[in-house]
Amino acid sequence: MEQEEKQTPQETSASASEPHDTAPAHIPIEKFSARQLLELDACTRCGECANWCPAYDQDSREPLTPRGRARLFKDILSRQHGVFRAGSLLGKLLGKKPVSPDEMRAFAKDLYACSTCMQCHYVCPVRIDTVELWEKIRECIVDCGFGPLDSQKDLVLKTKNYDNPWGQPRSSRSRWTKVAKKKKRITEEPKDILKSKSPVLYFVGCTASYDNNVEEVGINTTNIFQAAGVDFGILGVKERCCGSVLLRMGDRPSFVSICTQNIEQFNGLGITTLVTSCAGCLKTIREDYPKIGSLNFKVQHTIEFILDLIKEGKLTFTRDVPLTVTYHDPCHLGRHAGVFDAPRRLLQMIPGLRIIEMERNREYSRCCGAGGGLKSGYPDMQNRISQKRIDDALATGASELVSACPFCYQGLQIGIQAKNAPIRMRDITELVCMALGIETGAAGGNAAGDE
Amino acid sequence: MYDNYLYFPATAALYTLSVVTVLVLLAGVIASTTLWMKGKAPSLHHPLNAPAIIKAFVLECLLQVQILRISVVRWLMHFCIFIGFLGLFAQTALMAFMSHFVPPDTFIAKTFFVSPESRLGGAGARVLDMWGDVFGLLLLIGLAIAIIRRYVLRLPQLETLLKDTLSLTFLTVIALTGFLCEGLRLTDPAYADVARYSFVGNLLAALLKNIGWSAASYQAWVWTHAVISLAFCAYIPFSKAWHIFVSPLEIVLDASERA
Ligand code: HEM
Repeated sequence: MEQEEKQTPQETSASASEPHDTAPAHIPIEKFSARQLLELDACTRCGECANWCPAYDQDSREPLTPRGRARLFKDILSRQHGVFRAGSLLGKLLGKKPVSPDEMRAFAKDLYACSTCMQCHYVCPVRIDTVELWEKIRECIVDCGFGPLDSQKDLVLKTKNYDNPWGQPRSSRSRWTKVAKKKKRITEEPKDILKSKSPVLYFVGCTASYDNNVEEVGINTTNIFQAAGVDFGILGVKERCCGSVLLRMGDRPSFVSICTQNIEQFNGLGITTLVTSCAGCLKTIREDYPKIGSLNFKVQHTIEFILDLIKEGKLTFTRDVPLTVTYHDPCHLGRHAGVFDAPRRLLQMIPGLRIIEMERNREYSRCCGAGGGLKSGYPDMQNRISQKRIDDALATGASELVSACPFCYQGLQIGIQAKNAPIRMRDITELVCMALGIETGAAGGNAAGDE
Repeated sequence: MYDNYLYFPATAALYTLSVVTVLVLLAGVIASTTLWMKGKAPSLHHPLNAPAIIKAFVLECLLQVQILRISVVRWLMHFCIFIGFLGLFAQTALMAFMSHFVPPDTFIAKTFFVSPESRLGGAGARVLDMWGDVFGLLLLIGLAIAIIRRYVLRLPQLETLLKDTLSLTFLTVIALTGFLCEGLRLTDPAYADVARYSFVGNLLAALLKNIGWSAASYQAWVWTHAVISLAFCAYIPFSKAWHIFVSPLEIVLDASERA
């Protein structure tokens, strides 16, 4: 997204928030759960996380490893809140020093060098719930005034001011539907759910709504739903960001605010199902929202919804798609939401399609580096991480790289473009359209250049 | 207190040291847990799931299959340390229990542990002799693998801090001094008839005799061994070994939450 590119200064300029000369505020320890504080002690420092961490793979410094992060944070907490805290009698006896602003700043900088891909949780022999912990630490670092990084602040500010991280006007959120209709890419614009009272809400998400490169996801999804005769609608200009950016970046109050408004809006629609094509939105709405308020509808990724439509006989694949593809599991769909089988089942149903797995797949899928604020905070690192994933894909010999998340689509395009790799990026909905005989317009391919 | 179960007298000094150990250990546990308790957000989002907890406890805490899946060598290392340490701890705990709560004239004591000929006789005592050697050996094998990985191969994934070295040193010294004590005791001809059960100690006794060490220094080494072992126990909540309690807790909590 061009807006995003302008917002992302070089990696070297990433710095944690404002300057602090006086002693930093104490970490608000009460915001953690007892279990999260216990997790800091549960780490055996075996280093398995270091073997898998995509950020550490690019910058081999111990503070970037989940192990190192847990240890440094435990040290900060102990010196501020422990029995041996700095300033206490016992602390003085052991020579404990207060946590300095520089230490906090350095810690915050490394804390944000993480895509929250959750690989560390899956390889941790003692099952530490790492990403929940990192997000809580980020929240506290924000409270103390050291986060997010300067290069990420804009993303947060725009989400709060414009209801989307790209800083685009609210009024143009559903512009893609009009353009697509005008270009005859869709036969009918999706209905306004506020008027139609349809039982299914298609939650488009910010990236698919505003990024020209990824708007195909919205168009394809619309075409598939219309082909199946689904009574669905969209919120159009009334759709807000799901708030994922805010949560991942540590701005919890703003997340809670947007989440509460969304829950109220969704629950008031009287829908049975909310469907989204974005892994980030899915994880946020399905996994994180229920911790704030209850939902009176089911949340599905488009893949799961399409599988149901096929089961109900509402969709039948009629065309051969003679392509060789490899599937990239988005972190927020796979490791975070546990959806590993559904995309594979769907791909297997497509006639003529040949699927080759990358060596690292499912729970061990290598992250594209786009999530968790890494792309905005450390664009160089994200680029290199993405290139590694493209290497994985190229090693399979597949001609197409398929995923199920607009954000991964963007993230992987960066790697494809950087390597000028002979592989074509596609969203899974595009392959479904092809199998249904629906015309797809994606320039695809080395489509990073399409911007 | 019934001395019949011990190869050495439990003195008042040993009791005092044990009490100090328990106090320091408790202080450490309280220091850590009070920090945890400062966290006020809910720890669990779902009701506890007993089947998931039991499954994770057996597979991941006791058998540690998750380490086996990563590497056989790492599993062997840890399983040997884990089983070795717990085996030796159980042996010590059993003897401490017996010597305080089971009079030597009870049926169980007479049948298994005490015989007229020797202070610690009976089949049970022989099983325990062998038990100690087997678990001590396992502990040493595990520690040897850990030491080779950390200090000889210097595997890049291992970051070594003072507390890693301290824990490994404590455990190694405990295991070695334990065997040394046993070897020294078995140089005493009074144990000739039962020495074969302590197969490692017996071998060591032969070596010690060759270099002129005798049972005379036994008491001094028992003290060394006891003090170091107690110091390690006191150090647990401040050390890497704290994971012995905390890691299983995290494993079962996560398993329950994700069930
Ligand atoms: C259910 C209980 C336990 C769990 C889940 C557990 C888990 C772990 C794990 C995952 C590691 C890292 C292993 C690796 O590097 O591959 C570790 C290391 C270690 N554990 Fe445990 N552990 C447990 C009990 C114990 C016990 C009872 C001991 C006995 C003292 C022990 C001693 C050690 C030591 C010494 C290391 C470090 C080895 C090294 O230096 O690399 N653990 N533990």
